[in-house]
Parts: sequence; structure tokens; C-alpha cells
Amino acid sequence: MEFEMERFISALFDRSPPHAVEHLQLVLIPLTIAFIIAFPTAVLLTRRRFIKYTDRVMTFFNMGQTIPPLAVIAIFFPFLGLGRTPALFALTIYALLPIARNTLAGLKGVPQDVKEAARGMGMSEWEMLFKVEIPLSMPVVMAGVKISVVLTSGTAALGALVGGGGMGAVIFAGIDFFRAELIIAGTLIIGVIAIVLDRLLTVIDNILTPPHMKT
Amino acid sequence: MIKLDKVDKVFPGTTVPAVDQVSFQVDEGNICVFVGPSGCGKTTILRMINRLVEPTGGDIYIKGQKVSDKGVNPDYLRREIGYVIQQIGLMPHRTIEQNVALVPRLLKWPEDKIKPRVKHLLEMVGLEPDEVAQKYPHQLSGGMMQRVGVARALAADPPIMLMDEPFGAVDPIVRGRLQDEFLRLQKEMKKTICFVTHDINEAIKMGDHIVIMNKGRLVQHGTPMEILSNPADEFVKDLIGSDREIKLLELTRSEEIVEHTDEIPEVVNKKDCFIQAIDPVQRALETMMKKDSDLVGVRDGESFIGTISWEDIKKHINRISGDQA
Amino acid sequence: MELFGGSTGWFAGFYDEYLGFVSFIIRRWDQVIEYTFNHFSLVLTVMFFSLVLWISVGLLISRYEKLANTAFGIGNILFVIPSISLFGIFITIPMLGLGRTSAALALILYAMMPMVRNVYRGIKSVEWPIIEAGRGMGMSPLQILFQIQIPMAWPVIFAGIRVTVVMITGIATVATYIGERNLGRFIHHGIARESADMIIAGAVLVSIIAVLLDFILGKIEFKITSPGLRREQDQN
Repeated sequence: MEFEMERFISALFDRSPPHAVEHLQLVLIPLTIAFIIAFPTAVLLTRRRFIKYTDRVMTFFNMGQTIPPLAVIAIFFPFLGLGRTPALFALTIYALLPIARNTLAGLKGVPQDVKEAARGMGMSEWEMLFKVEIPLSMPVVMAGVKISVVLTSGTAALGALVGGGGMGAVIFAGIDFFRAELIIAGTLIIGVIAIVLDRLLTVIDNILTPPHMKT
Repeated sequence: MIKLDKVDKVFPGTTVPAVDQVSFQVDEGNICVFVGPSGCGKTTILRMINRLVEPTGGDIYIKGQKVSDKGVNPDYLRREIGYVIQQIGLMPHRTIEQNVALVPRLLKWPEDKIKPRVKHLLEMVGLEPDEVAQKYPHQLSGGMMQRVGVARALAADPPIMLMDEPFGAVDPIVRGRLQDEFLRLQKEMKKTICFVTHDINEAIKMGDHIVIMNKGRLVQHGTPMEILSNPADEFVKDLIGSDREIKLLELTRSEEIVEHTDEIPEVVNKKDCFIQAIDPVQRALETMMKKDSDLVGVRDGESFIGTISWEDIKKHINRISGDQA
Repeated sequence: MELFGGSTGWFAGFYDEYLGFVSFIIRRWDQVIEYTFNHFSLVLTVMFFSLVLWISVGLLISRYEKLANTAFGIGNILFVIPSISLFGIFITIPMLGLGRTSAALALILYAMMPMVRNVYRGIKSVEWPIIEAGRGMGMSPLQILFQIQIPMAWPVIFAGIRVTVVMITGIATVATYIGERNLGRFIHHGIARESADMIIAGAVLVSIIAVLLDFILGKIEFKITSPGLRREQDQN
């Protein structure tokens, strides 16, 4: 493998930055939408009235993960045309499951005796949800968001296939011209994006997690 | 049968020995109970006997054979020693029958010998073989699982049993019943048993011999009576607790302190105040209180043999507890 | 077509608009078979090597705890690399180039994380008292591994295999961009030619296969789990 440092540097600093911004959008927008959908849905599914739908809804979310990422990205293309929209749609679907699954697990993991005590002190169901259950399950929820970040930032590379831009554009150019420099530069930036977002979420997690649960 | 000679154990990364220069002997057919607070080294001693832990000093002998001899394969050694632990450790992926048959299979018993053996064992520990043999551990209650644990340890009829809080995971009522049943079994089996507990009452009830441990050291050993009547130091006294006298009364049979006489005192007859000779002295005390009498008649079967008075009991307590009250 | 309200009826319209991919699949049946065959021969190759390699690694790190962190570190890094990059990097290595070896190697690396993690988790989930009881009754370390640890970990290990098979089947579609002639090719060419039928045909086929695989392996997973372990599974 011929590896030219100059070309690598230029790929990293000249060619990549605009794509990196696109990539960041391809990660953050689907992630936000996925959170807005998955988190409340999962919370509702732990309420007594909706608990019976849990299996069905989770099967649906699960499907989003079972279906190959390339298929999810491609399937919206005929309906939404070329551009960012189909990529955003697909990546949102892809990000749903880890958030929903972890929210469910986190809420279920709140010890029964804590809930019992809260009820005993006269908390209403809503107070209990917002003051006890959600804060206590935050670490697990955030772990789910982090999994989604890693999955989405990798899968977003495929967004370039349907004209969604992002670092995938650089990587695919590298494949077309057999240029390892481009592929590695693109991968590196995706890695950096994933790691930076992960750290950022750790900071948020630290703010949201009740002090006694910090390790 | 089992002999420990100045056995030491210092775990890697620690400086304080977990077991410190412990020597004693367990006689054949006896239950020897190790009792003490957690971390006193009692479990470590047990696990050194079947070489789950290797001592750092001293020697352990079983039937005169050093267990640490080069010729002794620890796996084979353990197959000859029954082992019961508090957490039971039944294999959840195997049926009760397969669990009980584990050691016989390791010893390569013929299959046609194993099935009847399992059935016999389950019956022996008070389980209905047809009902439980094909079940999985999680389908059984805690008490039933403990019984299976005992059956599994007895499977290959080992002469020695090591039991680490074997009835520790069940509620007090079930525990009492399991203890009684096990003692009844032991009367026939005559196994040599090392039994670990942190409960002094269990030790007094189960033990022919009690070894009291603290901080890795052997503090005192002897029969339950010897220990109750003559605690070696403050630690043993604390361990026994403030109801030492009552425990002593539980251990003494009425016939041991009866004042022999042929005549039935009138007060005893009038209040119908009798106990049996084999009843513990504690029963005499209870009967006195219930019938509001300070004299109780003692019978051996149907025949009257004598009386016990309030004064007799007090004298007995003073004598055996060693207190000059 | 009369049955469906004539060729200009609602069904024909619906068919033209949304089910054109069905006639595409019928028209290109030979190709569908070829691509499916290629797809599965790749997945099978990858799974064969992954099972041998990653189960061994999983067992190894469950015994030598110090290696575990290293292994998970490597697995995590591999997981962050987008599939297309891993394929791309392999084809630029002269000895490998475009073709099956590159595709297979990249996929085997992808299989590391779910496989190794589940083997490790499964083995570690066997509780201490069970091992202690096994040792106490005189089982040798190998007997403990094969009669206790592996059978008890097996449902978790198999769950890892299931996840891996489904994941590899999915990611293998991307290998079409490095020359694999598999089901990803319909999507690949469909996008290039802006043929909706072709894209949908490809996407629907791989999706059905993935979902079906997941379903079938799920059934097998339940079947092979000892009834004694099932209740614990339900509670999770």
C-alpha cells in the first residue's frame, strides 16, 4: 500500500472539514429526533396502561436494527429522492432501538423498594416518574444514547450513497480511486466525531446523574 | 479420622494469617462444628481439608494419610468427600436427578446403579423422587434445594462430609426441621462431619464436638457441655450469649439431677405435675411455672423415679456454670 | 386483471407504484439466486472462521482476566470504524485487493465484538457457588469448563452468534462496493441507475432474509436452552 503523507494531510485538512460538518449534522439531527421519539415512548411503555404494548413496539424498533443499514438507507431514496432527507430518515430509525431499549431497562431497573418508599411518602405517579424513576435510570439511558452515537456516526458514512454528504463522500472517493489516504482520513474523522460526542455525553450524564450514583 | 497439625493459611497479598497454627482432631462418626464470627477462618479450614485451599504451613491428615502428599490428586480426593455449601450451588441447567448423580458419574459408576441410588437418596432426605427427579432447581423451594444439596453430597456414600452453613439459606422453622432430620440420618450413617456455622445455637444442637474460632485462631474446643459450662474467655462467653444457663438446662436430661424417691409427694400428685426422665431440665422448669409448683415429679415411662425441686435446679446451674453465685 | 378492477383499476395503480419490485425480482430471478448464493457463502465463510477464532478468544480472556480489557478495547475500536472504511482499507492492501478475502477479513473483524463479548459474559455469568460446588465435588477444571461453564453460558453464546449472523448478513451488503456480487448489488446499482424497483427489490430481499434469520435463530436459541435456565432468561 502506497501511503503518501502529503495526500493524507491534504485529505484530512483541506478536503474533509466541510464533510465533517455535514457528518456531524447527519449524526446529531437523527439522534435528537430518535431521542424525542424513543425516550417518551419507552417511558410510556413502562406505565401500567401501556405495558401490554411493550413487546409489539419493541419488535418494531428491533426491526430497525435487524434490517441491514444499507437497506434502511436505500429504501427511503425512491420515495424521498436524492439528498439529505432519506439519509436523515434512515439514520433516525437506526438510532431508535438502543435508546428505547436502555430507557426501558433503566426504568425497570429502579429498585422496587425505592418506588414503594416514594409512593409511601405520597408522591403521585408523575412526581415519582420525574423525581425518582427518570433520575435514577439516567446512567442507563445515557449509555443507550452513547451506543446510538457510535452506531449512527458509523452508519452515516453510507449517507453519501444517496447524496446525503458527510464523511462517506471522502471514503467512497478513496475506494473509487484506491486511495488509502482518503479512507483513513475519513475514518479518523468519524472516529473523532464519535469520541467527542461520547465524551460530551459523559459530561451531560455527570450533570444529570444523582451524586450518590457516580462512581 | 481427620487431623490438623499446626495448620497455617496466609492468603496472597495479606500479612495477617486467615488461619493461625490450628491443631485438632475429629473422631470417626462425630460431628465437629466450627463456630465463630465471619472471617474467623472456619470456612478456610473446611476448604483446606478437601484442598480447595492449600495451607501455607502445617499438615492435614485423613485416616493417617497426608492430603498434601504428591500421590493425592485433589480432584479424586474431593470425590471421596461430601461437600455442602450454603449457596447450595445446584447446576441450574441440569435436572435434580442429574445433579444428585453428579459425583457417581464422575466416579464412572454404571448407569443401572445410579438411578436406584438417586431414588434412594432423594427418599432419604425426605423428597418424593417421582415428583422432583425430573424438575430443575428453580422449580424447588429453598428448603427442598437444601435437601437436594445434602443428597448430592451423600451420593457416592463418602465417609467424610464437609458442610459449610448447609442450612443457612432457609427460614428458622425450616432450618430447625432440616437439622432434626439430619441428626436422625446421622444416627444411622455415622459419617465423620465437619460443620461450619456462625450460629452458636446450631453448633450446640448439631455438634458432638465444638471448635470455637476467632481471628484465625482456635479459641476453645470441647463438647457443647464443656464449652457452655466452662467458657475459656470473654470472647467465648459473648459468643454463647447471656442465656448460657438456659442453654445448659436444654443440654441436661432431667434424670441426671433427679432426687430418687419412691413416694410421690402429695403436691405433685394434686397438681398433676410430671415430666419424663429424658426431658431436658428446661422442661422441668417450664412445668413448674405452668402448674405453679416448686416440685416436679419425674417418670421413666410409666414408673415414678423421683422429684426435682426448684432448689435442685438452682444448685445444678451453679455447679455446671462454674459461677460461685 | 379484470378481477382487480381492470388494468386501470386501483390495484394496477398500486402495483405499478409500489410493487414494481416484485416483477423486477421475478424478471431477474436467476440473478437473485446467484446473489443470494454469493451472499450466504460469504456469511458462512465468515461465521466459520469467527466461531473458531472468537469463541477461543472469548474462552481465553474469561480465564486470563488481564487480556479481557485489551480484547474489548480492540473490539470497541473496530466497532467504531464504519464498515465501508474497513472494506476500503483492506482493498488498498496490495496482497488482498478487491475481492472476497478483503470482504471476509473485514467481516471477521466485525464479528469480534458481539462474539467475544457474549462468550465472556456467558462464562462470567456462571455464579461462583456453582463452580465452587463443582470443584468441591471433585470436577477437574476441564470438566467444570465443559460440563458447567459452557453449557450454562451456551444460551448467551448462542445469542451472540445470532446477533453476529444477522449483523454480518447486513454488513455484507456493503461489500458490493468492493466487488462482491451479492444482494447489496441491487441496491448499489439501483442507486446508480436511480431505479426504484431495483433498490426496493434489493432492500426488501436483504431485509426479509435478515428478519427471517433472526427469527429462525431465535427459535433455535429457545430450543437449545436448558429448561432449567429458561426462567432466569425470562426475568432479564
